[in-house]
Formats: sequence, structure tokens, C-alpha cells
Amino acid sequence: MSSTRFRLAGATFALMLVAVAGCTTGEGVDVDGADGAGAGGVLNAAIGGEPDQLDPHKTSAYYSFQVLENVYDTLVEPDANLEMKPSLATEWTTSDDQLTWTFTLREGVKFSDGSPLTSADVVYSYTRIIDGKLNTAYKFATVKSVTAPDPTTVVVALTAPTPNLLANLGGFKGVAIVQKSNVESGEVTTKPVGSGPFAIGSYSSGDNIRLVRNDNYWGDKPKLDGVTFTFVKDPTVALQNLRGGEVQWTDNLPPQQVPALLDGDDVNVRTVPSSDYWYLALNQARKPYDDVNVRRAVAFALDREAITKAAKFGLATVNQAAIPENSAFYYEYAPYRHDPNQARQLLDQAGVSDLTMDLMVTSEYPETVTAAQVIASQLEAIGVNIKIRTLDFAQWLDEQGKGNFDSFMLGWLGNVDPDEFYYAQHHSGGTFNFHKYRNPAVDQLLDRARTETDQAARKQQYEQVAKQIVDDASYIYLYNPDVAQGWSKQVSGYEVRTDRAIRFRDVALAR
Amino acid sequence: MARFVIRRLLQSGVVLLGVTLVVFLLLQLVPGDPVRVALGTRFDPQTYEALRARAGLDQPLVAQYFNYLGRALTGDLGVSFRSGRPVTSIVLERLPATLSLAVTAVVFAMLIAFPLGVLSAIRSGSFIDHAARVFSQFGVSVPDFWMGIMGILLFAGVLGWLPPSGYVALTEDPARWASHVALPAATVGLVTASILTRFIRSSMLEVLSEDYVRTAEAKGLRTRVVVLRHVLRNALIPVVTVVAVQLASLLGGVIVIEVLFAWPGIGRLTYDAVQARDYPVLQGAVLLVAALFLLVNLLVDILYARLDPRITVR
Repeated sequence: MSSTRFRLAGATFALMLVAVAGCTTGEGVDVDGADGAGAGGVLNAAIGGEPDQLDPHKTSAYYSFQVLENVYDTLVEPDANLEMKPSLATEWTTSDDQLTWTFTLREGVKFSDGSPLTSADVVYSYTRIIDGKLNTAYKFATVKSVTAPDPTTVVVALTAPTPNLLANLGGFKGVAIVQKSNVESGEVTTKPVGSGPFAIGSYSSGDNIRLVRNDNYWGDKPKLDGVTFTFVKDPTVALQNLRGGEVQWTDNLPPQQVPALLDGDDVNVRTVPSSDYWYLALNQARKPYDDVNVRRAVAFALDREAITKAAKFGLATVNQAAIPENSAFYYEYAPYRHDPNQARQLLDQAGVSDLTMDLMVTSEYPETVTAAQVIASQLEAIGVNIKIRTLDFAQWLDEQGKGNFDSFMLGWLGNVDPDEFYYAQHHSGGTFNFHKYRNPAVDQLLDRARTETDQAARKQQYEQVAKQIVDDASYIYLYNPDVAQGWSKQVSGYEVRTDRAIRFRDVALAR
Repeated sequence: MARFVIRRLLQSGVVLLGVTLVVFLLLQLVPGDPVRVALGTRFDPQTYEALRARAGLDQPLVAQYFNYLGRALTGDLGVSFRSGRPVTSIVLERLPATLSLAVTAVVFAMLIAFPLGVLSAIRSGSFIDHAARVFSQFGVSVPDFWMGIMGILLFAGVLGWLPPSGYVALTEDPARWASHVALPAATVGLVTASILTRFIRSSMLEVLSEDYVRTAEAKGLRTRVVVLRHVLRNALIPVVTVVAVQLASLLGGVIVIEVLFAWPGIGRLTYDAVQARDYPVLQGAVLLVAALFLLVNLLVDILYARLDPRITVR
């Protein structure tokens, strides 16, 4: 808790001082790479924390995936619009019963150490995740077997049609194709070997990870000689590093300074809407939150614009459903206008008065702490007294798992397919349904949409799901945040992605 | 002397054993489940159980402790929950960064505190005395993270003389190491200097009022000689303890400063380990810090005998 206060306090002081001090121009760039003609230089990137480990199948930390995005490949991968495009697999076919998918692998792909990547590696990687019950095993829930009839063919057999199989096999690098010998030697945790555009050069614990260009990469050769990731926890310090030229890229920007940075011209800062969403959940295993009227009352009492302004400094789009506007599965539905009178009526209908509600937030995500204060004052207006509990994330997760909460605020990051947006959270048997929502109609729809192969029908089913979840106020959705990243004027070819994947493969550095 | 050292080392062993037990038990009281943290929001009961088993957390507490202790005796402090890497090497990797920061900070602090403390004692009530007292009051009351941020904004931002954060190993490039260590060491050193200045001043004043000082002055010795030979030497004895304790606590890592300056030392490691409930790493870091503390204390006791022949080690 104190660390958040310290960061916020520090950032505020820094804001005042930066305003006074103005901006300094960067000095020379500190690059360690090879000099000479044609050399692309080394880009220094500051990320907000250190990866816990670099085994793509075992980490769940975003910091790890920021690095691994540039090191590993998946069979398919999301393009800028999050549609699945060929990567290691060049094409694929589906059997008529939708139960067998056959992937054709790219010819001549090599790992960064020069050894060939074949269908056996794909089988090994998927089997490792499934048999080891590793973090992404849930993405293979319907996979019956993975086989390799020849070196460039992979056959995935399913127990049920799985229309979102491509998103499961390529949505992010947590399902990357790893090298068996690298895993068995244990080096995968610190020196993973992949087939991506860069390879791990060195890893100095607590300090930096150096990537070097992978000359065996199958795609267009990266222009950079390498990328060095450093771990800078404090956003003010990270921004100072960017301005001073110590780093050329960071996503750890002080949110309150982003609007000014967008207008300024000393560094490039871009924002795009993300596919993340933040929400409020009320514990339906506890009274009176099992009453839909109470949940709807809370939904009507909230002024989402005000919450977004306070928590995200406006860098977000309010949304009463989960899926953001830029997705093909976006469903426009916003039945809750800010209406305290309506909220009070609903509470009366439920026979609830003098309600005191715990709201659990975590210092791991400071925006929940800030938002909680605004939410508390808005709910006070309808006579609901909020007790904010600020916990560190470990304790927060513990309490959530045990069901020890009236309500909590959190976000879901990096979802691609609608199944990921709804199933685990709102199916009565879902693994993330900690708030105990249960609606048989929603269960049925979710089960059906999961295996629906007609895309139009599937979209329509998910719209029904979305409407019901919003009407039931299973989650009270608040906003989709923007992704904000900044880079120096020397950097070209970088694009901010809505799924927060950090790709340096097409980036060049002017020197 | 040798017997003294051996006995102290044996005692230290008992203390360290106590440290492992206390840390182990305290960690059980801390709410928060390391496996839940490792999985983050992507929670899945099967994965959860598998990971718990891999980390050995499904075993009874007593078994967990004795397994840990047994391996610790052979220098194996277990493996990190987060990274799966051996704790011994994780912790030892971080030592040089913390060591170089702590030593630089203490040297910096002594360079300020000795002249300031001595001068303000022998010129008690003068302008320099007042200045020294204001300085030390400032140093102990202003939060170090604030000073750190001010330092970054001034020296890295406005003046552009120093890098705002980061680390380069001393062995890799001494010049770049120095430019990176300057800000964090000065930030930590200012706080330490404030404490030391106060202490040196009061210790000096105490000795200055002793009879033998008056005698020395009455003998007609020059002030220089009185101060250096009679006062400073005697005033140093308690100061040595304070410097040693300061150094030892800095070796434990200056958590806030290491986090702020992205300094890859023990303090930052401890911070990350607490956040992730990475018990093995936390235990390893605490054990190492405790061992360093005991070692520094042992050295101080030996140094005492050198400074004051009246003290003998038995």
C-alpha cells in the first residue's frame, strides 16, 4: 500500500517540477551495439518491472510477454485488428465435422540457434502445456490430440468444434513453440530459444535483458541489431530516461502526464483503445447482492465518465459492456444512464436501506484505488456506504478466492475472442466466477456459442450473452482503457497495438 | 583471538538458525498465496494444484521447514517460486550491486559527517554548528524517495549530468558505474551523513568535557594535537559502532531507493519477492542480510580492541 502512495506522491511532485523545469534535450544515445555501415543500433526499452521468468508456458506476467513477444513465434498470430494471420503455419484446413484441424508449417524455419523447427516441436510444445497442466492449459480444453504425420504438418483433433481455436493457439506468446532441448536443460527460464525476430543475448537479473537480432529468422530481417529491456518501476523516472535519451521506448508513462505528452513534441506518445476492460463485481453469494435490483441500483448510481476521468485521466472509453468498439464482436448496449433517483427506487424495491458495502481494491493496480474513492462518493448519494479495502495483490487474490468480499474492482487484460471475455467469468461453472453469478440461460448460450461454427450465428449468440450479463449486472462494466506508449524521435516503424503486444521487428533507429 | 572468533561464529550459527525459523513462521502468517499470484487472474483449479505441488507447498509445514533447513546446510536455499532458478545464485547475483551502493553511500556520508561533526563540536555554538544541526535535521526528516526524485529531476533532468537510473557493474565499466551510483549513493548517503553528524558531534562534546582533555590543554598541547590524539580517538569508539550498524543496514538493501533508481540489489529483490510472495527468495535474502549483519558486528568487535587497548577480546 505504501508503495502506491509513494509512487503517486512522487509522481505528483515530479509533475510540479517538470512543469517548472521544462524539458531538456537528449544527449547522445547510449548504444552498445556494433558500429559501422548498415548497423541498426540497439534500442533501449524501459518496462515497468522485471519478468518473473522467461519460460513462455510458465509465466503469467505481462513483463515477460513484453520481452517474449520478440523472441517466440506461434502457429498463427493476431494482426493489428486482432484477426489471426499465418505465422509459423502458412495455411490450415478444417474437416467437415470441425473436429480436425490440419496446419501446414512454413518450410525451413529455424530456431535462433540454427536447429530446425518442425512439427515435432509443435507437438512437444502443446503436449507440454496440456500434460503439465501449465498456465495456458485451459486454451486446450477441447484438444483431444496433437500429432505430426510429417515434418511440416500438424494435426489437431478436437472433442468438440472450437471456432476460436486460432485465437487459442496464437492469441499471445503463452502458447509459443518452444525447443525441447532448451526446456530440458532448464535454460528456458533465463535463456529461452525461440524462432522469433530476436534472440536472448544476456539476462542480468534485476537489471536488464539484452536481445540480439536473430539472423536465422524466417521473416524480414529486423533492422535493429538488438533491443535492451531495462526495468524501471517508477514512471517519472522512466519518462526522464526517455527524455534524456537513455531509453528510446517506454510504456511506463505517468498517466497524468500523458495528455500533455500527446500535445508536446519532444517525444512521440501514442494511445490506442485496448481490448482490456475494468469492472465492478458484486458478490452474489452474499445478501443483498443476490438481488438483481440491488446490483442494477449500483449500476445506475455510477457516473462512468467521472470514474474514468479520475482513474485514467480520461485515457479510456466508457463502456457498459465488455468488448470494445474496435472489435468485430462489439455490441452497443448502454442501458444504465447515471440516474441516482432510479437507483434509489430500485433499492426501495429490493427493500434495502442503510447498506454498507465492502469494496476490495488493490495497490497493484492504482487505478482501482483511485476509482474506488469516486465510486464510494457516487454510491453515498444513493445511501450506500462504501468501505474501501486496499490490499496488496497477493492478499487480494486470496480474499477473492475465498469469497471474502462484498464487491471488488479489477480488470481483464488481453482478451481476444468473446469466449475469453465471458465464459470463465460468467458461466456458473467458470473458473473465474468468484462473484457466483448463475443464470441457466447464459450458461446455455455460452456453451453453445463456444462450439458454434457459423460466425454470424456465433456473433448473435454473444450479443445475447452480453445483453443478459449487462441486464443482470453480473459484472458492472466501467471502461476500456487506452494503451499509452512513448518513444523517441529517432524511432520509426513502431505501432501501438490494442492487445499490448510489443513488437520491435519492424522498428528502425535513426542515429 | 582465534578462540574468540570461533566462539562468535558458532553463536552466529545459532542466531542464523533462529532467523530461518522466525522468517519461516512469519511468512506463514502473511496473507496471500504465492501460487495465486503466480497465476494472476488466469486462475484454473487444475493448474493451481499442479503448481502448488511443483513448489512443494502441498506438504505439511514441518516437512517444508526441515526440508528447507536440510538443504540450506549444504548451501542450497531452494528454488524461486517465480523463476524456478536457485535462490542461492539469485541472491548472490544481487550482492555486488547492493555492496557497491552501500559502501559508496557510507564513504560519502563519512566524508561529510566527519568534518561537519568534528567542527561543529569544537566550535560549538558557532555558525558552522548551527549549519550542521540544520543539515542533520533536514537529512533525517526529509523522506529519501523525495530527495531521490529531486536529485533525478535536477541532475538528470535540468542539468543532464547524470543518468536518471540504472546500473552498470563496477567490473564492467568503472566510469559508467560511478555515474550511475552517484545519485542513489548521494541520496542514501545524505541520510546516513545526517545521523552520523549528530552522533559524532555529541560524542565529541562528551569527550571534550572529560578531565583528561582539560589536562592535555593545561599541559599546553596545541588544539590540533588535543583534538586529533585525545578527543577524536576516544570519540571514535561509539562512532565505529554507528557507522557499522548503518553499513550493515544498508547492506540489507535500501528498498525504496533501489526501487526508485532501478538498482538491481538486495532491496529491490526483497521488494519483488514480497510482492510475489516468493518465500524461498525472501528467506534467502533475509538469511544473507542477517549473516552480513553478524559479520559486520564481529568485525566491529575486533576493531574495538584495536581502537581501545582497554577492551580485550576473550
